[in-house]
Amino acid sequence: MENVATHEDWKVCFSQLAPGLVLFARQWVRSPADAEDVVQEAFVRFWRRNHRIDNRALLYSAVRSAALDLIRRDQRRSRREIEVFADASRSVEPEFEPGDDSQRELAAAVDDLPRDQREVLVMKVWNELTFAEIAETLGISQNTAASRYRYALATLKKKVQPQ
Amino acid sequence: MNDFSELERELKSLQLVKPSARLMERIEQALTHVTEIPPNVIAPKRFTINWVGLGFGLAAAAAFLILARIDFRPAARTQSRIATAAPQSTAPLPNFLPAAVTRVVYNTRDEGLVFPGGQELPARRVRTAQRETLQWRDPQSGASLRVSYPTEEVTLIPVSGQ
Repeated sequence: MENVATHEDWKVCFSQLAPGLVLFARQWVRSPADAEDVVQEAFVRFWRRNHRIDNRALLYSAVRSAALDLIRRDQRRSRREIEVFADASRSVEPEFEPGDDSQRELAAAVDDLPRDQREVLVMKVWNELTFAEIAETLGISQNTAASRYRYALATLKKKVQPQ
Repeated sequence: MNDFSELERELKSLQLVKPSARLMERIEQALTHVTEIPPNVIAPKRFTINWVGLGFGLAAAAAFLILARIDFRPAARTQSRIATAAPQSTAPLPNFLPAAVTRVVYNTRDEGLVFPGGQELPARRVRTAQRETLQWRDPQSGASLRVSYPTEEVTLIPVSGQ
């Protein structure tokens, strides 16, 4: 059997993507430990099948799928799943390391965004995915991805820069 | 032009919480070590693929693609010989790339304690029913192909007597 760990570049790829992937996973599972479990499962499965990072939409899709699996598998979390899908809930632990009050306010405003807007924002800003890749990952059109992104920015602007 | 550019800059300046150092080690371990199962233990059937279902799905998809490319319109009788000798359309074949993999767990059943392969210690057998969906997409034409099939996973969880 081929030892996939001998592919040298997985570490480089992963170290670049890891913070964004964990943040992405935390859109569904709110604890950092669960998010890391999800990222580990998805990345290992992805790397064993692909050995390359070109298809980022597939990787993020794998993370999303692993996160939803985790929620479904754990029946004790059924109530939490409903809450997650119904509306965004505030993070238990911070997802960002804000430097000052304005950054803290901005991070809180991001956390308050509706889930569908926040996941697009997370993929676009901190994972640098294109709208085409976001659309593929979420199974939506590029126009929908772009409009959710604009709505997210408009909401944030209203909250952090009130006129 | 883009009145959100300043806000986007502020968002990018937010530092993400770094994943724990253990995460990289865990992934390296998972990629390096192939779990070795003693020969007297029943190996759990992880990610068992229903090959019959997958085969039918792929065959149906291939038949669809072939039929979609056949031109059923009757040939124009008035067409000149030169025209009929014209080269065939050189439209490229679909260039499908993997686009999505989803796995939905829809039932988990605890089948109780078993003693796998004469082992002294019991193990708990958990059977999970799930459905995997693979999707390919041709980025040029926008065409997509989706195959979905049921899978069953049987996991043996060692039970400690402590």
